[in-house]
Amino acid sequence: MTLLEVTRAAADLALRKGAGEVAAGGYRARHVELGWRDGNVEKVSEATTRGLGLDLYVDGRYASVSTSDLRPEALERFVENAVALARRLEPDKHRRLPEPELYRGQPDVDLDLEDPHAALDASERRRQAEALEAAARSVPGAERILSVTTGVSDTRSESALVHTNGFEGTRRATDFWIGAEVSVRDPDGRRPEESGASGARHRSALEAPESVGRRAAERALARIGAVKGESGAVPMIVENRVAARLVGLLLGPLAAASLQQKRSWLEGRLGERVGSEALDIADDPLLPRGFGSRRYDGEGMAARRFPVFEQGVLRAYYVDTYYGRKLGRAPTTARASNLTWRLGPRSLEGLVADAGEALLVTGFLGGNSNGTTGDFSLGLRGFRVRGGRIAEPVGEMNVSGNHAELWTRLRAVGNDPYPYSAMRTPSLLFDGVQLAGR
Amino acid sequence: MSEPSIHYFARFGVTERMLHDTLAAALSRGGDHADVFLQHRVTSDVGLEDKAVNRAHAGVDLGAGVRVVKGDQTGYGFTEDLSPAALIECARTAAAIADGPSRDAPFRFHLGEPLPRRYPLLRPWEEVGPEEKLPILSGLAERAFAADPRVRKVSVYLRDESGAILVADSSGRIVEDAQPMTLLGLSVVAEDGVRREQNGYNVAGRAGFEFYTPERLERVVREAVARTAILFEAVPPPAGEMPVVLGAGSSGILLHEAIGHGMEADFARKGVSIYADRIGKKVAAPFVNVVDDATPEGARGAINVDDEGNRAGTTRLVENGVLSTFLHDSISARHYGVAPTGNGRRESYRHPPLPRMRATYMLPGPHRTEEIVRSVKRGVFCSNFANGQVQIGAGDFSFYVKNGWLIEDGKLTRPVKDVNIIGNGPKVLERIDMVSDDLAIDEGGWTCGKDGQSVPVSQGMPTVRVSSMTVGGRGP
Repeated sequence: MTLLEVTRAAADLALRKGAGEVAAGGYRARHVELGWRDGNVEKVSEATTRGLGLDLYVDGRYASVSTSDLRPEALERFVENAVALARRLEPDKHRRLPEPELYRGQPDVDLDLEDPHAALDASERRRQAEALEAAARSVPGAERILSVTTGVSDTRSESALVHTNGFEGTRRATDFWIGAEVSVRDPDGRRPEESGASGARHRSALEAPESVGRRAAERALARIGAVKGESGAVPMIVENRVAARLVGLLLGPLAAASLQQKRSWLEGRLGERVGSEALDIADDPLLPRGFGSRRYDGEGMAARRFPVFEQGVLRAYYVDTYYGRKLGRAPTTARASNLTWRLGPRSLEGLVADAGEALLVTGFLGGNSNGTTGDFSLGLRGFRVRGGRIAEPVGEMNVSGNHAELWTRLRAVGNDPYPYSAMRTPSLLFDGVQLAGR
Repeated sequence: MSEPSIHYFARFGVTERMLHDTLAAALSRGGDHADVFLQHRVTSDVGLEDKAVNRAHAGVDLGAGVRVVKGDQTGYGFTEDLSPAALIECARTAAAIADGPSRDAPFRFHLGEPLPRRYPLLRPWEEVGPEEKLPILSGLAERAFAADPRVRKVSVYLRDESGAILVADSSGRIVEDAQPMTLLGLSVVAEDGVRREQNGYNVAGRAGFEFYTPERLERVVREAVARTAILFEAVPPPAGEMPVVLGAGSSGILLHEAIGHGMEADFARKGVSIYADRIGKKVAAPFVNVVDDATPEGARGAINVDDEGNRAGTTRLVENGVLSTFLHDSISARHYGVAPTGNGRRESYRHPPLPRMRATYMLPGPHRTEEIVRSVKRGVFCSNFANGQVQIGAGDFSFYVKNGWLIEDGKLTRPVKDVNIIGNGPKVLERIDMVSDDLAIDEGGWTCGKDGQSVPVSQGMPTVRVSSMTVGGRGP
C-alpha cells in the first residue's frame, strides 16, 4: 500500500468507528547517519520509521491520536478507544475541519524539495566525515585541538494528509547534513567547543566539508582566553546563525493560541509599529528548496506568501483555523514556513565596522522570554568589538530587556541570510542593549 | 535465576527464538556486545482551556532498537515492525559497525536479578477512566479562578504514561521494567487592570492515580496562583556580579547544568568535558556533596534499572568537595574499566542509550537558611526556574529564574522575575560557600535534553549561597 492509501484507510477506519470528520496524517522516513570522532567511526545508525496521527471530530468533540503501532487489530482497538474518549469530553463548537475553500488555490510550483539522486553510500559518507575532520585539523593552531567529532546524515521522508471533507495531499522531501564539532584546550583548563554545519534539500547544494570543518575549528580556537565583559548598555550585533534564537522569541507571541489565551505582548498591535524600519519580514512557503517550504500547511490550507512585519509595522499573526474561529480572525497559517527578510547592504564585517564599540554575539546559552510581557533574558558568548573590529572573546554574560523596546532599536540587518535554517536570519545590529557581565 | 515467563514476550509479540535470531544477525560481524531494546508506551493527555475539558490525546509507541557495540563504537538500527524479518534487517544494519568474524548469540535467555520497586502503583493508569480524570481538571480550574479575582485564563493538562521495556542482550540476560509516569500542569494568566502576567506550576512522578492527593492538588492551585500574583509586584533585578542564594528544591537545576552534564562519562572519555581530568581533585568546599540517584521512590527521575538493563543506584558526583564518580553507560564503564552506574538511558527505541542523569541533588550541609539570607548584603534569592543550559567544555552554564527576591541587607525585600543567571561550572562550585540542611527534591516535571533525546529527570537542593554569579538584570 502507498502511504496515501494507508492514511486514507486510517481515516476510513475512524469514520467507521464513529467519528464525524477526520484529519489523518501519515509519515515514513528513512534516516542514515554516520558519526565520526578522532579518526574512527563513532556511530552508524540507519532506520526506517513510520507513524500515523488522527484528529477525530466526534459529536462536536475533539480528540487526537498518534501511533507507531500499525498492526491492524491494535490500530482498530486504539481508534475505537480514542473515539470513546472523545465522547467523554465537553463539546467545543470551534473544533472542526478547515472550511474546504481554504484548501483551494494551491500554487502550482515545483518546490524541488526532493533530491532525485540516490543517497550516499557508506564509503562516501565516511570520506566526507574524514574530510570534515582533516579540514578542522588543518587550521593554524590545530595543535590545541582536543577532539573533533563530525557527522554526515541524510533523510528521505514522505508524508500524506487526508481530510474527510475533501483534502488529500502528499509530499516528499530529502535533507542532507554535514557538521563538525571541535573542542580545544584553553591553557586555563577550559575546553571550549564550537561547531559548523551545512544542510540542504539537495546534496549538491551542500557546502564543501573542507570549509565546514575549517569553520568549526577556527570558531573553537577563537574562544580561547574568553573573559567576562563589562556590564553596560552597548550596541549588540547578533551573528546570522544565532539570530534565529531572538527571532523565534519574537514570533512565539504572534501565534493565535497565544493571543486568544492572553499570553502575547503583541495582542492588539496589528497595523502598529512594533519595530524599527529595518524589521521587515515575510513568511514565504514557496521558496524552492527551502527547509520550511510547502504547498499546503499542516491543516491542508493552500500556502501563500504574506508580510509579517513591514518597515517595523506588524502586518499578520500566525492564525490556525481553531484559534482563528475563537478569535473571529481569518486563518493565515499555524506556523512559520520560511522567513524572507528585506536585507541590508552590509555584511557582518560591515555591521561590525559600523557599530564601532559593541558586542558581537556568536552564541546564546539558555535564557528565556516571557511572551506575555515581552521581558527576556539570555546568556551569551561572543566578542568585544573595538574600533569597528572584532577584538577579544567574551563569555559568561547576559543580555536582558523587553521585546517591545529591543526591536525598535534594530538599526540594521545584514545581507547574509543564514541558509541552513528556515528562518534565514541575517546578522542583526541593535543599538543600546543592556548587558550584564562583570 | 528463573526462566523468563511467557508474560515478558506477550506484550511485544516476540519469542525467545526471535531474540536469538535478531542477536545472531547483530553479531554476524562480531562486536563486544549486542542488545535488543523493545518498548511499548501508551500515553494519554487530557486538557482544559476556557473552562472546558475539551481536548484529549492518546499516543502509542511500539518499536525495537538493536545495538552492536565494539569498543567505543556503536551500530544502531530501529524498527516499528516487530516481525522476525524486520528485526533481523534492523540487526544487520547495526552489525555494520563491526568487521570481524561472527559471534554466537544465546539460544536461551535468563532473567536478570530481581528489580527494586521504586514506583509501586496503587492505581495503574490502565484502570483509570476519563470519568475519574476529568473532574480533577475542572476542579483545579474552578479553584484557580476563585483564588484570585485577577485570574483571567486558566489552562490545565494531565498526562499519564504506562509502558514496558524489555532489554535482551548477547550475554543471554533479559530485563523487563514497567515505567509509569504522570504529569499535571496548571497555567494561569492574571490581569490587574494595567498589566498582565502569566505563570504556572506542575507536578510529576512515576506513580498512578493515587499521586493526586487532595494536598497535592491544593498545592498546585496555591503555587500557580501565588507565583503569578507576585509577578505584579516584581521588578527586574540589577545587572552584574553579585551573591546568589538558591532556595531549596528546584535550584538543583544549578547542579544539573554546572556539574551533572559535565560528569556524563561519554563527554569525559572523549576528553571534551571541563571535568575530564579532575576525578579525585578538590572542586568544592568539604561540605559539598552531590549525588545522582535512581532511588527516590516515585520521583520523575527514578528508575528501577537503566535502559541497558543495568542496576541503577546512587552515584556520588562530589564527595566532601572532591570530584568522585562519572555517570556511566556500559560503553564508558568498559572504557574506564569500572562497573556501569546505571545511567545508560534513552528517550525511546529510536535512540541508542547515553549516560544521562536521573535525580540529581546536593546533600544537606552545615548552615541554616536564615543565616544564609542574613549573610548577603545585596544579591538575589532564586525560588523558581524555567530552564537551563550548559557548554560542557567551556563550562559556562545558565538558568532562567522565573520568581525570586532581591536581598538587601540580609532581608528579602522585593520580588524579582524573568532573569537569566550565568556562571562557569567549576568556578561556581568553588564559590558555593554555604549549604543549608533543608534539602528538598523538587516534584516538578523536569525534562533533560541531550543529543536530540529527552528523558525525565528530577533535581533537588538545600538552600545554598554562591558568593558571586552574573545576574542578567537591567540597570545598576
